[in-house]
Amino acid sequence: MKLQYKSEIIKSMTWLGQKPDTIFLGQAIGYPGHAMSGTVEGVPTKKLYELPVIEELQMGISTGLALSGFVPITCYPRFDFLILAMNQLVNHLDKMQTMSKGEKRPKVIIRTSIGSKTPLDAGPQHTQNHTEAFKRMLTEVEVVLLEEPEQIFPAFEKAYSKKGSTLLIEYGEYYSTK
Amino acid sequence: MNIPKHLEKVREVTITKEELIDFETKIAYEYNEGRIKAAIHLAKGNEDELIELFQYIHPEDWVFAAWRNHYHALLHGMSRNDLYKDILDGRSMSTSFKNFYTSSIVGGIIPIAVGTALALKLKRSDSKVWCFIGDMTYRTGIFYEAYKYTKNFNLPLQFIVEDNEMSVHTPTNIAWGKKQDIIPDDIIHYKYEMSYPHHGTGRFLNF
Repeated sequence: MKLQYKSEIIKSMTWLGQKPDTIFLGQAIGYPGHAMSGTVEGVPTKKLYELPVIEELQMGISTGLALSGFVPITCYPRFDFLILAMNQLVNHLDKMQTMSKGEKRPKVIIRTSIGSKTPLDAGPQHTQNHTEAFKRMLTEVEVVLLEEPEQIFPAFEKAYSKKGSTLLIEYGEYYSTK
Repeated sequence: MNIPKHLEKVREVTITKEELIDFETKIAYEYNEGRIKAAIHLAKGNEDELIELFQYIHPEDWVFAAWRNHYHALLHGMSRNDLYKDILDGRSMSTSFKNFYTSSIVGGIIPIAVGTALALKLKRSDSKVWCFIGDMTYRTGIFYEAYKYTKNFNLPLQFIVEDNEMSVHTPTNIAWGKKQDIIPDDIIHYKYEMSYPHHGTGRFLNF
């Protein structure tokens, strides 16, 4: 069986990496460290911006970059870690259009992943799927769950071309099974 | 108030102390008359410091402030009519125009200010970012992270601590045990005394 899920993500990142205004940021994005690190291998090194583990600050940095014309692809390798950025995501990025009367609508592409339980179970703090909760909390940020390989490239293409921000949720397990 | 020596005056501030006070007095009047159906946070007592500070802030610079933001918006170029209308429309806590943004979540603007400063650095822009926070916000964990990151990567971001020694209605030294920390010289810091309550005018309910 030919695995397509991860290769579609790599294709999407490579495509985004060719855009002049994109920048990729997160912990272990410029260095290896987790499964997501390997998906930016086709992105020019100068576009990979390594960050410390600063989840909330990272989301605000992404918003600030977007306010100034960049399109950040901000990477949270596990859904469980994105929880730490909720203030900046829900109270700020998601409310900015309303608070600025439509004047400010930053475009941030947020990547996260539901941690894999096989062949190794990463445990309750690394494998949660909060998709439905995020859909209920977010009003301006679109939430997209990437279940099938053929969804992936069009979803990232849309996230880049449309106005506003998108949260794209991957399945870590599918990197090696689908 | 300590102004770091590398900063230079880049703008003539034409709005006067009396005009700032008059603006807030009119807002207080409208609020007391029941014409503002939303929370407001009024300033008074820090006009001299802000008029001095905004002479160092270029009109193209980004300014981030918090819930008590009317003076900052006026001094950065928002028209009195636009701000007045926004406040009457219930937007006192979310003032926004061009390169000016606010948040009413404690510390909420700090990460966005860092990202904006990073963008300016990556674009090799001459502009700067100015982030106004209170003495309560100065003691939060997010400020500590942001300040460290900003300093280590030499981002064009100037923090200003506006110290009224209050955390909402609680004295900050009570909330934190005591204000034992020293504010570094590269952060602008000034003290002032609140002349209005944390929000509103003291005439109505808390929200």
